[in-house]
Amino acid sequence: MADAAALASILAEPFMQRALVGGLLTGALGGLLGSFAVLRQLSFFSDALGHSALLGITLGILLGINPTVVLIPFAVLFALLVHQLVQRSALPTDALLNIVYSSSLAAAVLALSLVETYRGGIQQLLFGDILGISWVDLGVIGGLLLVALLYLSLSLRAQVLLTLNTDLAGAMGVRTGWHRLAFIVLLAVVVAVSIKAVGVLLISAFVVIPACAGRLLSRRFPVYVVSSALLGGGCALMGLLGSGLTNLPSGPCVVMVQFLGFVVALVISQSTRRSPAVAGPGGRQILGGGPAALEPH
Amino acid sequence: MRQPVLQVQDLSVERSGRLAVEGVSFALSPESDTALVGPNGAGKSTLVAALLGLVPRRSGAVEILGQPLGIDGQLPRAVRAQIAYVPQTLALQGRFPLTVAEFVGFGYDPPGLRLPWKDHRKRRVSVQQALQRTGCEDLGQRLLSELSGGQLKRVLLAFCVVRPRQLLVLDEAQAGLDAPSNEHFQQLLFNLRRQEGWTVLQVSHDLDMVRRSCDQVLCLNRRLRCGGSPDHALSPQSLNELYGPNMITYRHQHHG
Repeated sequence: MADAAALASILAEPFMQRALVGGLLTGALGGLLGSFAVLRQLSFFSDALGHSALLGITLGILLGINPTVVLIPFAVLFALLVHQLVQRSALPTDALLNIVYSSSLAAAVLALSLVETYRGGIQQLLFGDILGISWVDLGVIGGLLLVALLYLSLSLRAQVLLTLNTDLAGAMGVRTGWHRLAFIVLLAVVVAVSIKAVGVLLISAFVVIPACAGRLLSRRFPVYVVSSALLGGGCALMGLLGSGLTNLPSGPCVVMVQFLGFVVALVISQSTRRSPAVAGPGGRQILGGGPAALEPH
Repeated sequence: MRQPVLQVQDLSVERSGRLAVEGVSFALSPESDTALVGPNGAGKSTLVAALLGLVPRRSGAVEILGQPLGIDGQLPRAVRAQIAYVPQTLALQGRFPLTVAEFVGFGYDPPGLRLPWKDHRKRRVSVQQALQRTGCEDLGQRLLSELSGGQLKRVLLAFCVVRPRQLLVLDEAQAGLDAPSNEHFQQLLFNLRRQEGWTVLQVSHDLDMVRRSCDQVLCLNRRLRCGGSPDHALSPQSLNELYGPNMITYRHQHHG
């Protein structure tokens, strides 16, 4: 009873209502973009982008401009530069990303040390402050979710073919360079917009974990994309409620719920693999129908 | 005389700063089956990529169905929709949540942006027919990442035949197929040519298959070393020139 009363009082707070809607939208956005990013092996790219965003925030502080305003153009510019670097360099992508993100992180920390008093606090930058989310932020995140949904729906064929084989996509008339760039820019904007709520350190979890859980549970592509978005939004909601009830930090709470969701998905996928009698003649029925096999390839 | 499906004139292509293909000219007549052979690193895949407009060419001209291929690979959308391509493989690391039927359905859609549920019913029927034609009817609900190499090749062919086209380009499509699958594959290519007027260009290392199935051979080692009918192009002298003397010894040991 006490818990129910506590929950009701938390839900009555406007800042908590905004945080819940913000978490739902940010989680869904991360899951949606993540479902493509993970298949395209861009997980580390989103991580590097998140860490490097600290440099953008720091630049904003040093220039006396609202860091949120600086962050989106910074993230897009950063993503385009890294994309060019990856395209033109003979070095492996993960090594390049590591160089870029550790360097920009170091630069950001050095620059932050020059700022004597930063009102926001480093903790807020690293782990986010979803409770401080405003109606304007919600509008931006909601608009971005709509844009992402529209673009990914219209270009679904292009995105999948591009992920499977660039030459096949090009031969089938997909403008590979354009779509690759458009996706990276979209991912950069999503990361930049989500930083305020999620923080620099945890942003990649929002992109990677729900998508990996969805990947383990789904067989059909639309089911995979939708389930990743739902898992992202659902885990964010549960994590925020848990955070409100326990008075623990919100970002880490959300990521822990995402992690638990991933573990559950892992257990379900393993158990359905082991029990063909439950799953049907082909075995391994999970989301989306049809026989499946979950053996590693 | 009918217009060539593909016309290549003095084509040169650079890759990684070196001339990978130099001064290549040839034409594919309608309904022909042409093999592109040559040793590893001869520029076969680069030539195919240039013909499909995937890499820019340094010089020369390419026409597909009478339309010039732009220097950066641009083709009118209607012409692009007439081209099918079977790559060597797909990037399927780990579990890829895409069924065979879904993948083949992407071959049905024309180039450009469109909502995924558009023409859903027509697409489903065409996918079913394509799977049957390629002997993949039992694979429709399997995940793409669950398939063996041979099954994947058949599914890639289903992806191509899911809608009518005029030019089919295959990059080592027979690699990984067992003997019956290979025969079925070649029979299907033959039917596509004879019954539906497709033209085939295939990169291959299987010279016996080329001898049996193709009616024109292009021998490439940066430049076109020889060309013509299989009997002429795959003569011991031509093979000697293309692959070096060890190739003749190897073939004698395995066939004689």
